Amino acid sequence: MRHAGHFVRLLALVAITVVGFLFVRSLVVPKDYGIKGHYRLSAIDDEAKREPRHIGSAACAECHDEIAAMWKAGKHHTPQCENCHGPGLMHTKVVAEDSTKGYADKILKNKNAIKRPTGIQECKWCHLKTFERPSTLKSIASVERHITDHKGTYTPNSKCVDCHNPHTTVVTPGKSGLASLTTAAK
Amino acid sequence: MTSPLNSDDVTRRDFLETVAKTGGQSFLFGSLFVNTSLLRLPQDAAQANAKAKAETEAGKGIIYGFVVDTTKCIGCGSCVRACRVENAVPDGYNRTWVEQYTFYPDGEVVVNSPVGGENGFAEPGPTRNMPAGLEAVQPVRGFFVPKLCNHCIDTPCIQVCPVGASFKTDEGVVLVDHESCVGCAYCVQACPFGSRYLNPDTMTADKCTWCHHRITKGMLPACVVSCPAEARIFGNVSDPTSTISQILSTNRVQVLKSYLGTRPRTRYIGLDSEVI
Amino acid sequence: MHHYITEGYVLPNQAHIYWTTMIVLYPYITGIVAGAFIISSLHHVFDKDELKPVSRFAMVMAFAFLLFATLPLLNHLGHPERALNIMFTPNVTSAMAGFGFIYSTYLFILAVEIWLVYRTDIVHLYNETKYPALKPVYWLLALGVLDISEEAKAVDHKVMVFLASIGIPAACGLHGYVGFIFGAIKANPWWASPLMPVIFLLSAIVSGVAMVLVCYIIIQWINGREIDGPCTNALIETAWYFLIIDVTLELLELINHAYMANEDWVILKELVTTKLFFSMFIVQILLGSVIPFLAMGAVVVFKQRIAPGVRNVIGVVCGVLLLAQVAAMRWNVVMGGQMFSKSLRGFLNFQIDIGGREGLLAGIFILCLPFVVIFVFSRLLPLWGDVSTFPAAWMKEKEQVRRPLKGWSKFSS
Repeated sequence: MRHAGHFVRLLALVAITVVGFLFVRSLVVPKDYGIKGHYRLSAIDDEAKREPRHIGSAACAECHDEIAAMWKAGKHHTPQCENCHGPGLMHTKVVAEDSTKGYADKILKNKNAIKRPTGIQECKWCHLKTFERPSTLKSIASVERHITDHKGTYTPNSKCVDCHNPHTTVVTPGKSGLASLTTAAK
Repeated sequence: MTSPLNSDDVTRRDFLETVAKTGGQSFLFGSLFVNTSLLRLPQDAAQANAKAKAETEAGKGIIYGFVVDTTKCIGCGSCVRACRVENAVPDGYNRTWVEQYTFYPDGEVVVNSPVGGENGFAEPGPTRNMPAGLEAVQPVRGFFVPKLCNHCIDTPCIQVCPVGASFKTDEGVVLVDHESCVGCAYCVQACPFGSRYLNPDTMTADKCTWCHHRITKGMLPACVVSCPAEARIFGNVSDPTSTISQILSTNRVQVLKSYLGTRPRTRYIGLDSEVI
Repeated sequence: MHHYITEGYVLPNQAHIYWTTMIVLYPYITGIVAGAFIISSLHHVFDKDELKPVSRFAMVMAFAFLLFATLPLLNHLGHPERALNIMFTPNVTSAMAGFGFIYSTYLFILAVEIWLVYRTDIVHLYNETKYPALKPVYWLLALGVLDISEEAKAVDHKVMVFLASIGIPAACGLHGYVGFIFGAIKANPWWASPLMPVIFLLSAIVSGVAMVLVCYIIIQWINGREIDGPCTNALIETAWYFLIIDVTLELLELINHAYMANEDWVILKELVTTKLFFSMFIVQILLGSVIPFLAMGAVVVFKQRIAPGVRNVIGVVCGVLLLAQVAAMRWNVVMGGQMFSKSLRGFLNFQIDIGGREGLLAGIFILCLPFVVIFVFSRLLPLWGDVSTFPAAWMKEKEQVRRPLKGWSKFSS
């Protein structure tokens, strides 16, 4: 290889780069890459180990059993507790730590935790009549109609829960919907 | 027992795994394999079928599926709200959303999805801009269509990911590895359904996981649990006794953009041709 | 990422634009690389002697732009620190995964080619430079081997021819690949087309030739040097030929969309006639294609009958217009494909950022960096003339001599 010394040095540089690249690669690439497919196998566990924030109505019923029984027996058992109340994970954690103090800060002000329903907005999500909704769903056609249909008891400022028990949809004459709730948890 | 619905899924996957293991495929060669079954030899298919059957009989081989019954959706947006909290989806992005379709007598279709339907849909529905002097036309029909990731069998998002940060689990769930993702957003461009986004908090690609963290704990996806109308059905399609298998065997189902050949695992009942 | 104002129905995740200025800039930069490299190869490989005055400059320009081709990508990535994953764990089915390897291979080929072109100069300058501080630099550039015997030059020449012959397909590969990134996305009707790699490659060549043309004339003007007539003519001619094929295919692509009139044409028609009207019909077609086609066509047809001064002005003006044409084409493809939603029912009102990480200023800054490299290079090694005329070689004691360089380099006489 006379007169090709510069190419020898060039190739040496290339070789060093390639070896260096392979060495760094062996350090950097996770060991579980490419075992099952072209991905990092433990990424599945990373995803799976996330904690579910919605605990499910059955979990709510463990403490709030009277309301749960009322809800389950009534006509309004398809929407779940957490649909209106928000996800229960934080609530169960804080209650398990047995600290009612700071509950408001930890829970009520946290948009990802349980919240107190407004008693009207939650109802509108499903029961406001919109054209595209299947006609089988019992909807409130319009506030004006509701006022004429229920003269005297319904005003534009009324909340749905003023009359309806949100857990059963039942209206008890002369009694507010909220008053027919059982609120205490065991 | 192998359900006819998923046997092909399993053979395809096994075939691709075999291809991947034998290795040696170049980039072009690789993409040839992804979208064609022309190269599948009869004995490969037979072997893969036998293997799939054995796995399913042994209680393995769960293949998840999702059915959206658009005839039942009431457009309440519970699924969207539940998903946002369950998966910490940043504002302005959606892993699932609900579209509102309104049809007018002159043939015009108005589609709308304010905040992905998160706050429900207001009366009187989408406003239609009418030329001045003309009265608003009353719509003739309408419906809601919930959308989410289709978890396609031949998904372009995994195909295009340069680093292998998008992948499919054995159960057919398409996931993102947030520690490998470089945030190039090529998968966002490649998804025909707009299911993916670049999460501004993590700066990685993000998408619906069918609540992988819940289904692996025996729970249902948050959107399925929260749906009061049973418009969303999730389950193991390889188990013929599961609800989803029952529904799939008694209904005619469609998928979105079937002409693109991505073979979605999310199937729709009552899909109108106006839904793109 | 902004939440843009939308019209019609846009899928919720598409109220954002994920690829912006940087992704327009990236194919623009690699395009200039491909075009400049073709110019240099036309001289070095295909013996087009008229292009001799710019062949070294074109090669250095290709190299300088290639050095910064990855910068817009890195600036755009959500996790630039993980960028090397694309080479550590490349996914064989991904078009994008090829980037790391195609890019580094091409960068290597180009670097070695330049090195071989300049090796004799480097050794001469090592021996003769009047600045002692530069000696180690030249020694490093020569990799410590100072052998410029005829035999060594013969070896260089062989390697050079080999590299040039694989360099052309590599340049085409690098840029065709960029077009494939878009053309192979079936989810986007504005991108999905097998013509895309060809159009990207041809417009790349147009932009590269135009950049060499504009820089050559302007640099000669600034330095008060004579502008080589045959060379300018050859550059204009090359640009003109490639422009014709390029624009034909661009129009073919559009006409084909319109004629096939698939379900997506409804929105694509709206896209090109409203959102892209200015950047497509005014900039890309009228200003960037029709005017250069006519003006440069006149130079090509009438050659000697056009006064050199007029020809040079036509060269600069049309060169700038061609650069704008290609920039507009990149914009129309990359941004156009994201201005409508995959719902095929809605649009996004995209507005370019001025400041910010992916804004216009950042883009202009990145586009300036290759010129800094070219400037630094021109202080170390001669871009235009003979090594003996190069400042670093001027010896205080010795009289300035013109040393003819033998070997493959066509600068030698």
